[in-house]
Amino acid sequence: MDNIAGSKSSLSLVTHVTVTALVILWLIPTVGLLVSSFRDREQIAVSGWWNAAFSIEEATRYQPAAEGVTERDGLFVLTGSVFEDDPSTVSAFGIAGRAPDAAQPGQTYGRLKLDVVQEDGSIKTKNFETAWPVDATPVAPETFEDRPVQGFTIDRALSITRDGDFTWMSAKDITRAPSIYFISPKPPSFGLDNYQTILTSDNMDRAFINTFTVTIPATIIPILVAAFAAYALAWMEFPGRTWLVALIVGLLVVPLQLAFVPLLKLHNQIGIGQSFVGIWLAHSAFGLPLAVYLLRNYMTGLPRDIIESAKVDGATDFLVFTKIVLPLSFPALASFAIFQFLWTWNDLLVAKVFLPKTSEAWVMTVKIADDLLGSRGGDWGILASAAFISIAVPLIVFFSLQRFLVRGLLAGSVK
Amino acid sequence: MSPLLQGVVMILIGLSGCIGYFYVSNFVLDKIIFPPKLDDQGRNINRANLVRPWLFLLPALLLLSLYLIYPVVGSFYRSLFNRANTEFVGLANYGALWNDSGFRTALYNNFLWVLVVPAASTFMGLLVAQLTDKLSWGNVAKSLIFMPMAISFVGASLIWRFVYAVDPNIGIINALRDTVGLSPMDPLQLPFWNNFFLMVILVWIQTGFAMVILSAALRGIPEDTIEAAVIDGAKPRQIFFRIKVPQIKGTIMVVWTTITITVLKVFDIVYAMTGGNFKTEILPSYMMDYMFRDDGRATAVAFVIMILVLPVMIWNISNARKEMR
Amino acid sequence: MKQQFLASAAVLAATTGAVSADDHLKFAPGEGVFNWSSYETFADTYDFSGEELVVFGPWTGPDGELFSSILHYFETATGATINYSGSDSFEQDIVISARAGSAPNVAVFPQPGLAADMASQGLLSPLPEGTTEWLVDNYGAGASWAALGTYAGADGSDAQYAFPYKADLKSLVWYSESAFDEAGYDIPETMEELKELTQQIVDDGGTPWCIGLGSGAATGWPATDWVEDMMLRTQSADVYDAWVSNELKFDDPKVVEAIEEFGWFATNDDFVDGGAQAVSTTDFRDSPTGIFAIPPKCYMHRQASFIPSFFPEDNDGAFFYFPAYEGKDLGKPVLGGGTMFAITKPSDVADAFIAFLETPIAHEVWMAQSGFLTPHKGANPETYASDALRGMGEILTGADTFRFDASDLMPGEIGAGAFWTGMVDYTTGTSAADVGAAIQKRWDGLN
Repeated sequence: MDNIAGSKSSLSLVTHVTVTALVILWLIPTVGLLVSSFRDREQIAVSGWWNAAFSIEEATRYQPAAEGVTERDGLFVLTGSVFEDDPSTVSAFGIAGRAPDAAQPGQTYGRLKLDVVQEDGSIKTKNFETAWPVDATPVAPETFEDRPVQGFTIDRALSITRDGDFTWMSAKDITRAPSIYFISPKPPSFGLDNYQTILTSDNMDRAFINTFTVTIPATIIPILVAAFAAYALAWMEFPGRTWLVALIVGLLVVPLQLAFVPLLKLHNQIGIGQSFVGIWLAHSAFGLPLAVYLLRNYMTGLPRDIIESAKVDGATDFLVFTKIVLPLSFPALASFAIFQFLWTWNDLLVAKVFLPKTSEAWVMTVKIADDLLGSRGGDWGILASAAFISIAVPLIVFFSLQRFLVRGLLAGSVK
Repeated sequence: MSPLLQGVVMILIGLSGCIGYFYVSNFVLDKIIFPPKLDDQGRNINRANLVRPWLFLLPALLLLSLYLIYPVVGSFYRSLFNRANTEFVGLANYGALWNDSGFRTALYNNFLWVLVVPAASTFMGLLVAQLTDKLSWGNVAKSLIFMPMAISFVGASLIWRFVYAVDPNIGIINALRDTVGLSPMDPLQLPFWNNFFLMVILVWIQTGFAMVILSAALRGIPEDTIEAAVIDGAKPRQIFFRIKVPQIKGTIMVVWTTITITVLKVFDIVYAMTGGNFKTEILPSYMMDYMFRDDGRATAVAFVIMILVLPVMIWNISNARKEMR
Repeated sequence: MKQQFLASAAVLAATTGAVSADDHLKFAPGEGVFNWSSYETFADTYDFSGEELVVFGPWTGPDGELFSSILHYFETATGATINYSGSDSFEQDIVISARAGSAPNVAVFPQPGLAADMASQGLLSPLPEGTTEWLVDNYGAGASWAALGTYAGADGSDAQYAFPYKADLKSLVWYSESAFDEAGYDIPETMEELKELTQQIVDDGGTPWCIGLGSGAATGWPATDWVEDMMLRTQSADVYDAWVSNELKFDDPKVVEAIEEFGWFATNDDFVDGGAQAVSTTDFRDSPTGIFAIPPKCYMHRQASFIPSFFPEDNDGAFFYFPAYEGKDLGKPVLGGGTMFAITKPSDVADAFIAFLETPIAHEVWMAQSGFLTPHKGANPETYASDALRGMGEILTGADTFRFDASDLMPGEIGAGAFWTGMVDYTTGTSAADVGAAIQKRWDGLN
């Protein structure tokens, strides 16, 4: 006995570990989407979602207003703080966008105008950028491009303290806002903005209701119709039965796009037009092959003796079906219901074709795709949060129907 | 009338209509047309049983023929005409397909998809279904693995953008390569293998489907057969392969068939991830390139896809035959 | 610039809202530099109280709202109700609804090619008589705009089926002013200078270009604009027209040369951010953000006039004309596009709507907002919301040669299919000659 118990627990440990590993593997991409749904488009484009929780060192351009300029040692000076409202720390800075990390806080970084002696003895002015300690003066190189340097002037210089206080010096008067580049940690920013955009947009409640109006009948009707058909195909004898099964399998593969134009034409002719009735019928028919296929398969697996003994007792097929087969088939009915609900819930294509093109009839997918994402779609943040909003209801449905997928039902009714 | 109320009314009408139809039609058949009266009781019951299957099937067949068979027949007819639908060209559209190297690439890729995706998804689904069967947190695990199923294809392609992107700041694969010092590469441009990177997405989605169906089937296996095996001293692995798998063979086949068919229909993944470039085109996305432009060509592709399902259909027919014996 | 405008628009709305009864109109009639007399004349001519007009177009989200703001003027003027809906998959949806008999009254085509297809299938109705003459007289380069909407109908005879309204300008290069200032780069005036600048940026240790062709199912389209621009800069406009109609084959050396001109920029690892490999998969919406990165990932981005809506907030983006070769003497060619309005279900209101599009006010009201350019000569350029838009408007009207986006004019399988994928193949290593031959083969297979 010990032996069995021992192997059982080690086995279950392996099971736990394997399932955990699988779940993590399956979850990584989704977590990426979840994290992204709280970020805005620009953040998504610059850093990976796995870095979203950390602050990133980000380069910023700051352009202080050219006000309060003073003059000191022949240079025009502008002072202030790069952090106007919320204090942070500067880890590096520079005076040009291509090198925002040219100098460290505590240094001064600037552009010198070197007087370089040319071969013919004339003097040319060359730009030279360097860093020097704040309380010192810059040191010019002795030579520039292999020519001796005679002297220099400071053209412009910048120093920033770790706290963000800057001093901008310029040989010319400062009339235009100078560009200061610095690197500081950017705290992670999460927000519900994307969710808010979607949930508070006009008519979103309407779209939500519309989606339910489409999905519920479009889930129930095909199940009912398919259950009867599946029973006939599973338990009734009639000529051509196998061919019908084959036909159903064949119809599974029909691309829906083939059906759009003829069906919409038909709906227009018989006066349904683009309406909820039309989309119910369309979704029901499109879901039917899979429903019949899945349910027939499940029903053929039901114990033969129960059904036959009921028939011997004089029960008609109708009674056998409603009283025995239908209750026994609950797990299959529930699983098909989950899938049909999912497809109709996430469907965009059928809704666009069969529903009226007015905003009163928009379902959520249409609302999100055509109204919130904008003409050229590209707002990844909105897309991500939309994906999560639309995932919520199907998951609730999955959880609530999952209890029908249990063994007890079948076992109970057999006894 | 508000759509909500309309919906409720429709649900009631639809439901009572369906139930009413089945009840009333059976009642009429049994009690009025072929009443089992004393003198010809047996004959009437037999007659009624000849008609009854068609009563059960009628609504389904009506819907199917109107919404699927009629468009299919119409489309086949359309595939015999030229681009502008003005001239009968026979099988010229099919010939043109065969001569197009893009089509042959799509066909080849589709074979890869059909081989890999159903097998991988069914295997993973079965694995998860079995492993979570007795697990205390099995339902949670299943829900998490099921989740990709509930994400729309647009959402899914966005998710996988974060996996495959070239920029190591966005794509997780290249972020990992970056940490071990490899230069970034584009998985979706890697010849041949890019097909498999795309298949991973569909496997990721379809495993949830396989898991739900197979998990229901596993739970449908009568306890006593397993208990008997346990008493006989069978090891868990033996129980799984010798007892459980044979009993749910039919369901495995259904799952396999369904996923195969999904593979032949799903164009969204290829469409959104590569647009069919880098030799990743598959038949459904190839068809969409022509849909509503050259319908003759598009419908011809649709029929090639349907022909590809023939083996699966034949397999299912032979199985259906076996079951009936 | 945009913020400034929005602020002023808000002020305008606040000040006029109380006075005007039609407070859903963006700009109150009678105020500002708008051509209100055209509006009043129109309002006096037509009365459709209680009638409805269904309009279906490609504009969704913010663009859809902009368009709706124009429609309100028509509604207020005539009393008709307009039911506008936009779709992201317009090209597919319009074909389905037109064939199934659920067509809207007016459809807005982003591509003339699709409108031509539908006209040939008898799904469009000809526009009111005199529209062609009106376009020729009142649009800059009017004859070519009119030709853009002239198609063969189901009976094979040509008619004016579509009315061009809202133009796009494609020959633009975007850059960051501060990045150019700090690096000391000058705006290139000629293609030769542009190529020199490209090389100079590399010599300075930078990356000159951001090019991204990624666009989901439409991946590759940004490259078609490049090639078309290059075609206009290496060949005369006649050759361009011959190319569009396939009289000049796609594998002709002239076309191959234009593709290779694009390749000079796009297939050089040093010239493109991320290297040539990144070109085909970088999303076109993410691509321009590189010019605003610190340090800059790149300095230039060639894209149409719509792209600023994908710039990050608070940017200093600016544009210059994608220059022509000085040595080729082909003038200053400009590539552009336009949306086409066509009647899919005739009614008096639909005819009046086309007449409304002829009024200057229908153009000015959108000019004063954002993202709208017009060749309408009667519309007041002062109404443009910003100097940038006005600048583009000037490029549009001042072009020596104006040509429409070739890929929009070609049959759908080419212009929105083989051409796209061909460009992706080209940027990933296939030779320009092979790409041209493959596209030509596809074109040959159409008939």
